[in-house]
Amino acid sequence: MKDLENLTAELAGGRLSRREFVQRVVGLGLSGTAAFALMEACGQGSQSSGSIQLSFVTWSYGVSTIQDNIKKFQSSHKNVQIQFQDFAWTNYHDTMVARFTGKTPTDICYSSDHWLSEWAAARWITPLSSGFSDLTSYKSDYFPYVLQGMTYQGKLYGIPYYADTWAFLYNQDHLQRAGISTPPQTWEELTQQALEIKSKGIANYPVLLLFSQSDPGSIEVWESMVFSRQDGHLFDDNLNPVFNRAGSAAAKVIDWIRDAMNNARIMDPASLTSEEIPVVKAMASGAHTFTILETYNQAELNKSGSGPFAGKFKMAPMPGETHNTVGYVRFYAVTDQLTRRPPDVQKAADQFLQYFGGKVNGTFSPVVVRWAVENGLGFGWKSLWDDQQVRTAFSQWGDPDMLRRNQELARIKEGLTKYFPDWDVFTRAELQKAYLGQTSTQAALDAMAEKWKSLKQGNS
Amino acid sequence: MANVTAATEAGRTPALRRRPGPGREAIYAYLTLLPVLLVVAAFSLYPILYAAYLSLHKELLTDPGDHHFVGFGNYVDVFHSFYLVDSVTSTLVFVLMSVPAVMVFGLLVALLLNQAFAGAGILRVAVLLPWALPPVVSGIIWRWILNDDYGVLNSILRQLSIVHYAIPWLSNPQLARVALVFAQVWHEGPLAAIFLLAGLRAIPAETYGAARVDGAGWWAIFRHITLPLLRAPLLLVLIYETIVAAVTFDLVYIMTGGGPANATALVSWFAYTEVFKFVNLGNGSALAFLIAAALLVIILGYLRALRVESNR
Repeated sequence: MKDLENLTAELAGGRLSRREFVQRVVGLGLSGTAAFALMEACGQGSQSSGSIQLSFVTWSYGVSTIQDNIKKFQSSHKNVQIQFQDFAWTNYHDTMVARFTGKTPTDICYSSDHWLSEWAAARWITPLSSGFSDLTSYKSDYFPYVLQGMTYQGKLYGIPYYADTWAFLYNQDHLQRAGISTPPQTWEELTQQALEIKSKGIANYPVLLLFSQSDPGSIEVWESMVFSRQDGHLFDDNLNPVFNRAGSAAAKVIDWIRDAMNNARIMDPASLTSEEIPVVKAMASGAHTFTILETYNQAELNKSGSGPFAGKFKMAPMPGETHNTVGYVRFYAVTDQLTRRPPDVQKAADQFLQYFGGKVNGTFSPVVVRWAVENGLGFGWKSLWDDQQVRTAFSQWGDPDMLRRNQELARIKEGLTKYFPDWDVFTRAELQKAYLGQTSTQAALDAMAEKWKSLKQGNS
Repeated sequence: MANVTAATEAGRTPALRRRPGPGREAIYAYLTLLPVLLVVAAFSLYPILYAAYLSLHKELLTDPGDHHFVGFGNYVDVFHSFYLVDSVTSTLVFVLMSVPAVMVFGLLVALLLNQAFAGAGILRVAVLLPWALPPVVSGIIWRWILNDDYGVLNSILRQLSIVHYAIPWLSNPQLARVALVFAQVWHEGPLAAIFLLAGLRAIPAETYGAARVDGAGWWAIFRHITLPLLRAPLLLVLIYETIVAAVTFDLVYIMTGGGPANATALVSWFAYTEVFKFVNLGNGSALAFLIAAALLVIILGYLRALRVESNR
């Protein structure tokens, strides 16, 4: 009997597989049926210690790092098994919509400020307030845009995976060859510098921007350019559009882009079909001088072996009067499905979230530090800038003080409502029509405003 | 042969004489068909009926508590949508450009492959390769070839000094439309060629021989023998390629994402956008039914033409 107790304890502790358990129970003289009955009887035990399965879904960035992090988490939490799946970033939203609608088991997933309103309104993800109290205690240490990006109707929905800003990057080698000592402070100055670079044959199109209609980042680049200007707002406090007012920052941005692409010819027309990776590759090749990219791409561009200009890519505040830019947060979100799972599974999810995005024993978890140090991903925590290891790592490809300053200047995108995705899709095309000169700046902005009003009214 | 005819005339062929009814054979026949019918019902009928249900209800995923019956409200929404006119126009332009191009390409290749020459067998297999590639892969290939900055096509044109600056193949709305048609022809042309080659092979050699004896040249033979006898396969290719072109989605998704400025956003792209971007299953289903209805009208028109042709 004692042997049987030991065996059931070993099964419950995850030290025996189900097959080994049956074999050894039969070896004790019990029938196979009895062995299975015993195994079922201690099923709850095996659930909590050996076979808690958590489904974790991400987009395909740093997959080998994620897998390694999972392995390390599982080695310290032997009762938890992570079922990991990843999908391409460009298809991630649509894939997740299909998963949620089809009720495919998903416990924890990456999400973004971009989709928070939609996912929360659809009740696909759930606030952290219940059962995840430790995770909500970090709020005061987040940069404001990070906290705003994870908050919907006053409730916190996640813990940062990473939080970055859109940064103005330039090729210092090009500037030096053109005899330019400092990067542009305003958009008009950028035009002058680009014309100088073009006239000297250093780059035919000094400016390349991420404006592909299919890339969700395109609206973030555009909003960054709006924010950087005086009175750079899209909506008032009641979410009424202000961007279509005469002389608005948005109108100035569109006019600048039209001029840069069609008259001054300093902006590559390929911008209209350029997504993140092609922009990074084109910049690395030295074909262009100026761009706006997610900050972590400065690490990619300056990485040894990335191209002939590795180490030459610098960051400057976004040109414009305010230098404001868009900050965004990608975060670990908890699905509504998880709230219906047993308490021990939710507890495991809590531990997983702490390990992947929070703190362990009062210090930042190794995963949080790893993404920053190894991949140069921005982070949402103000106090992590005090970590010497992080500062040293960031100073190898950028200027930590500049990076932090950009985070302080960053603002969350305006208009993040559950109908923002509808407006975003409409707006991307309208902006392109304006850039191409198919429609006037004012007509495009008026169409965007009308669309916003009808969506707002339809959702009121 | 005589015995079979006699037996039929004498009414001794039960299967032909017996009227359908609940006899054992009929029950057996229905039971035999049942598994297939169930599969069809599960994978075709149910989704269609469910989509019809969705198209008549409010099914906005960001409003999970409200699924009330809206009648044809979703259809009205689609008709009033910002994208319908432009996307239908883009789709028509795409169909009108790509379908004739695919047919001409297919016909020329079929005529070439119908000749006897060294390596014709290998060429017949090789020509099918683009069609054998999934459209997504075709899209990726063409997107790389046509990339403005580092695409192969611009690189070759520059090396040959034909152009000095990169041509914005996918960033210019007109060029992007043409590029999409080109990719469609490259992908669909081979299948059309094989269809038409089969049609060419079915034309008796004696017909060509007789024409040559009468002194007909290649153009007269092509115009008065080949084309008339290829009408049925040409019509089939026309129907098939029209359907394929009208619902093209993969190439758009991969190559242009509907841009620039919605120039390549076909109506099927917006069916996808309604469901996956706007998370509005009601409007998405309504639009899908409208596309299906439009296609049905076109197909019926084609079939009528085909029937007229076969009755000649």
